[in-house]
Amino acid sequence: MTIDDTVTGVDLCEVTVIVNGQLRRARTEVRTLLSDFLRHDLGLTGTHVGCEHGACGACTVLVDGTAVRACLMLAVQVDGGEVTTVEGITPDEGLSPLQDAMWAEHGLQCGFCTPGILCSVEGAARAGENVGERLDDLLGGHICRCTGYQNVRAAVRLYCAGGQEAGR
Amino acid sequence: MTVAPERPASLVGARVRRVNDPRLLRGEGRYVDDVHVAGMVHATIVRSPIAHGVLRTFDASACGALLALGPDEIAAATRPLQCVWLAEGQRQTEVLLGDRRVRYVGQPVGVVVALSRAAAEDAAELIELDYDELPTVADQEQALRDGAPLLQPEWGTNVAADFRVGDDAETVEAAMARAARVVERRLVIPRIVPSPMETRGVVASWDANLRELTVWSSTQTPHHVRDHLATSLRLSADQVRVIAPDLGGGFGSKEHLYPDEVMVSLASMRLGRPVKWIEDRVEHFTATMHARDAVHYARLGMDEDGRFVAIASDVIGNLGAHPSNVGTGPFRISGSMLPGPYRFSSAGVRVRGVLTNTTPTGAYRGFGMQEAAWVRERLVDEAARELGVDPVELRLMNMVREDELPHTTPTLQDYDSGDYVEGLSMLRDMVSKREVPSDANPRIRRGVGYGSQVEFTGLGPSPVQKIVGFHLGGFETGVVRVDPDGSVVVSSGVMGMGQGIETTLAQIAADKLGVPLEKVRVTLGDTKVAPYSASGSIASRSMTVGGGAVTRASIALSDKMRRIAAHQMEADAGDVELVDGVFRVKGVPSTGVAFGDVAASTWLGWDLPPGEEAGLEVKDMHEPANISYSYSSHAAAVAVDLDTGKVHIEGYWVTHDSGTVINPMIVDGQVMGGVAQGIGIALYEKMTYGEAAQPTTTSFLDYLVPLSGDVPDLVIGHTEHPAPHIPGGMKGAGEGGTIPAPATVANAVAAAVPEIAGKVLETPLSPGRMWELLHEAGLHDRL
Ligand code: FES
Ligand code: FES
Repeated sequence: MTIDDTVTGVDLCEVTVIVNGQLRRARTEVRTLLSDFLRHDLGLTGTHVGCEHGACGACTVLVDGTAVRACLMLAVQVDGGEVTTVEGITPDEGLSPLQDAMWAEHGLQCGFCTPGILCSVEGAARAGENVGERLDDLLGGHICRCTGYQNVRAAVRLYCAGGQEAGR
Repeated sequence: MTVAPERPASLVGARVRRVNDPRLLRGEGRYVDDVHVAGMVHATIVRSPIAHGVLRTFDASACGALLALGPDEIAAATRPLQCVWLAEGQRQTEVLLGDRRVRYVGQPVGVVVALSRAAAEDAAELIELDYDELPTVADQEQALRDGAPLLQPEWGTNVAADFRVGDDAETVEAAMARAARVVERRLVIPRIVPSPMETRGVVASWDANLRELTVWSSTQTPHHVRDHLATSLRLSADQVRVIAPDLGGGFGSKEHLYPDEVMVSLASMRLGRPVKWIEDRVEHFTATMHARDAVHYARLGMDEDGRFVAIASDVIGNLGAHPSNVGTGPFRISGSMLPGPYRFSSAGVRVRGVLTNTTPTGAYRGFGMQEAAWVRERLVDEAARELGVDPVELRLMNMVREDELPHTTPTLQDYDSGDYVEGLSMLRDMVSKREVPSDANPRIRRGVGYGSQVEFTGLGPSPVQKIVGFHLGGFETGVVRVDPDGSVVVSSGVMGMGQGIETTLAQIAADKLGVPLEKVRVTLGDTKVAPYSASGSIASRSMTVGGGAVTRASIALSDKMRRIAAHQMEADAGDVELVDGVFRVKGVPSTGVAFGDVAASTWLGWDLPPGEEAGLEVKDMHEPANISYSYSSHAAAVAVDLDTGKVHIEGYWVTHDSGTVINPMIVDGQVMGGVAQGIGIALYEKMTYGEAAQPTTTSFLDYLVPLSGDVPDLVIGHTEHPAPHIPGGMKGAGEGGTIPAPATVANAVAAAVPEIAGKVLETPLSPGRMWELLHEAGLHDRL
């Protein structure tokens, strides 16, 4: 393949996917990573890319309800599926209970790792898992270079406590 | 747990939520890779795959890119980058762009632009490159040997600078000769990659019509980038605007101009289109400055009673392929801060900065001080072991007492204020309350270790910068404005990079002006808007120096509004108070003029006292009178598994003093994050080079940083001794978590396994290295 092939589009394909509840369709290169597809083709820049080798978790999104690293998938793999990003777990106004707990407990500093962490925890909660019990497991897939994790753990605990009060 | 002093209700000292967080939590942060400019195309940087050689061929004729610039075009179009921190006699003070002589893997030699990043990478693959390889050297001690490959053959040596800090050699030797006991060790601090979660990146957009270059850069120092970019591109400073958007961390690695930014800007000027370049993570491991990498031959001398007499070190620092912008600065600061919180009659350090075929080393959280703490605090524990005394008692006995401050060290640091003894004593009390795990597995050993430090923060008086050869002004300017509708805008040259400075500056302005926090907007990071800042957000200075300026400006503005309100109410300014947004005459609740009305009339220039200027904007330039010296003591409780070598940190305690605390939640967050990075250094992190100086740790799979399970919940105790010379009394809080943590963890490991204590001289204490040490000590022969 030459450079012309990649820019003239011989390897383009169409991806149709429900993203954050909306049907989205875009032409993209077959080799496009899901993370790049979301960020650059769909303009959903809340999903971040920290390593592109599956180690940091910054790119975590939910695919058909399961947390995945969007840098380890191709966009074509989600064709016909359903993707939820940080934008999709954010209410129109204000913050979700998990986001609010992160705010209250200073669970973020630069915020670069944060969308990925939110997707992991929110995904587990939506799947009915006991987030509090799985805390180490859930956070173990995320590198945060700023917070030292203590306040992230505090935030998730606060979220779980609030959730119990609310009868979740 | 946080032990903080009680304070009356005030926004200074309040645990308020950070103003920027909702945006970041909603996924609406705007980092440099989120910047999109119409017509934008994408660059990739061509980097040397070899560590030493001469690039003979750079042939981009078949690559099909929109633009490919090779070394000769880059060299012809640019001026070399200037080093900003120059040691006396430093042999190299600038770095050529487009140098055909390559000296490290990752050195940029060209830039390629295409419609997408992937296409640019494809095009780069099609460039024909041909190198003549030269022998390499990656280790600084090997680079000192006779016959070592020379990076700058005309020097006849790899030593770029050789100088002393503190007492001269004769004075140090005389003091050591008087000592009853000298503890001497070779201590090593390996190479660290700062690794912010967001890599570097830049979007450059040249407006050929206005002849203006706008650059979005993930940087801690927008003005510094602007100045150096303009110089390198032969533009004038007014032609260049640098905007730092949200930063995904920096930790020192984003504190100057890199060649990449120049090359991408040049590409935009050539193409007349906006060009984006985003570093990838593997690239980051060789293209972004590393840090540390120093070998210390260190000595601690004491009298018969264990009173410290002298401390000295011969520092062999690895500069990498060329001096970075800060060059030998970190090694120098290791020397300046080597005495730490202790009394010495003599202290002196020799520093040699050595070139090797590795990525240049620069700034990283703890800048030279983590190294100093590693050396000093390990020596102190080794001394305690040799003397058979308690290491905490040995520290307490030797600490500079509160009544001895201010205190000038033999390395010419003027410690300002604090109570180091109080901090360490409080820490010991906190540790004594811990629950000791009761499991009786004989193959698990447990121990507690301590470490103390004094930290150079709030860089710094500009005249001091001059003395040490650091070509950066140390002042900060704060501009505070009350607009006609009563809203408040603060601007400063410091940068937000996750440390929450937007919130804490807003807290200061709101507190001094008497308005709710929501009324204050803080604008940072745009050279067209922000006041000039030579140093930006480095060296734990944003709050100390920048916050000092905002404190004074806010007070001056508040005073002015009070004078005007008093005039309008025909009262004396001293009798006026601001209550719930209304200026009133004390004791006369019927009077009143609203804050917003005073703002409106002042911007009209109506109803002002004689001689009062219209408008409500105050600019304060704050040149601190001295460095501010924060300090901390740390303790760690570890469990060492003799069979696997794994070190598990079971408890961690900190006492910390950074002067006046504006927001305890944020300061705690800085301490927690700092300690986590220190734990990374202690147990996991090390950048390595193999055959032919090829880097061997270039992903997060082989360069390990701590994960949640590696970092316990800290117990933090605060004391507050304000900086006497800083408006508001703040000292820096960004680095005190990182500085003593590696030594503290190592001291705990040494306490847990005394058989290996004398060998704990180098980080990281990874399971593999620990297993070796335990094995050599015979601890694997099961009895
Ligand atoms: S960017 Fe996907 S795991 Fe790091
Ligand atoms: S908040 Fe910066 S990486 Fe997690």
